[in-house]
Amino acid sequence: MGRHSRFQSSPMAVELASKREQILTAMVRVVGRQGYEATSVADVIAEAGTTRTTFYRNFEDKHDCFLAAYDALVDRVFVRIVSECDGEEGWLERMRKGLGTLLDFFADEPEMARAAVVEVAGAGADARRKHSEALTRFTAYLDGGRKLHPEVELPEHISAMAAGAVSALIFDELVAERSDRLPALLPDLLFAMLVPYIGPAAAAEEMRRAA
Amino acid sequence: MIARSQRERLLDAAVDVVAEKGYAATTVADLTGEAGISRTTFYEMFEDKEACFLAAYDAAVDVLTRRVATAFEAEDGWPARVRAGLEALLSSLAAEPQLARLALVDAGSAGPGAQRRYRAALQRMTPFFDEGRDYAPNGRALPANTSRMAIGAVVGLIADELKEGHAKRLPDLLPEVLFATFIPYLGPAAAAREVGKGAAPATK
Repeated sequence: MGRHSRFQSSPMAVELASKREQILTAMVRVVGRQGYEATSVADVIAEAGTTRTTFYRNFEDKHDCFLAAYDALVDRVFVRIVSECDGEEGWLERMRKGLGTLLDFFADEPEMARAAVVEVAGAGADARRKHSEALTRFTAYLDGGRKLHPEVELPEHISAMAAGAVSALIFDELVAERSDRLPALLPDLLFAMLVPYIGPAAAAEEMRRAA
Repeated sequence: MIARSQRERLLDAAVDVVAEKGYAATTVADLTGEAGISRTTFYEMFEDKEACFLAAYDAAVDVLTRRVATAFEAEDGWPARVRAGLEALLSSLAAEPQLARLALVDAGSAGPGAQRRYRAALQRMTPFFDEGRDYAPNGRALPANTSRMAIGAVVGLIADELKEGHAKRLPDLLPEVLFATFIPYLGPAAAAREVGKGAAPATK
């Protein structure tokens, strides 16, 4: 162990922070399992193994907790994707790696995936806004593909089209409770993500390479 | 006949109340109050709030699908057919923003039954898009679920407008929605040309 920082958190503060994180994780798991509407604060407390007092010390209510949990989940996925893609040079490789990382995460954490993609729509306008913001955060990376064919004038919302196509296929698998099959869908999803930028012939070629 | 019209009133009420209050906050009492029918009559027709909501959802999707199909079938050639179908869809949604929200935004909030219905509703749009496979230069090389991708992109663009409360502006979205439809079949350059072909003379 190196030397201790003078700003090291007290054991008490560490414990509080980890309690908060446990509640956030419990929140997305329970919502993914039973749906947002059917989730109660009591369910989340039981899943997190904590108390009502601790819950309400950290959050105003279920909705407030879900919004915080959603942010934490998006950050977690984002950090994982960015770190996986960091080593890749080309845009195509980064896209393939990023999408593969997302699908593996969703397959490993089906409840989180359902909360993030399906249930978020039912958690109110604030949650839907967060969902759109999260999508924009991911799709900003897609627009690197605009440089591949500068001669074609692409519409402003091209990355939203790519994201809509990819989300639709993921949504279908999650609603049908087939999250385990998501990684096998990588070639198709790669096609959906790349085709607005590179066209069907090149996207089908990438699909074959990924199969 | 009376039973039928009561049912229709209830379905209309479900669309209006859910659009206003959201699904979770809607009660059976809200629905019976809005439709002007008794609680007993409600329970003769539907088991619960969810059953009523799902029936309203199915009715809304039926109406929309029929309008799209009529417009689609009146034209020749896939680009013209799909343009007419999407035009009909956008104008129908713009004319009835509450129905639009119910069909494309709120369905996700009404539990697993509605989520599966939503997925099935979008699948009913598949034939309008699948014709693109025959039109595309290399249609057989495209993934089997290409139509689902195009539908996802189209619905995503529409839902974004609805969430912003811009239902009235939906007809203006036609060029983008068409572009999203053509792109997986034709690629960006040909899609842009195809969108431009049917464009009305500039009036702006």
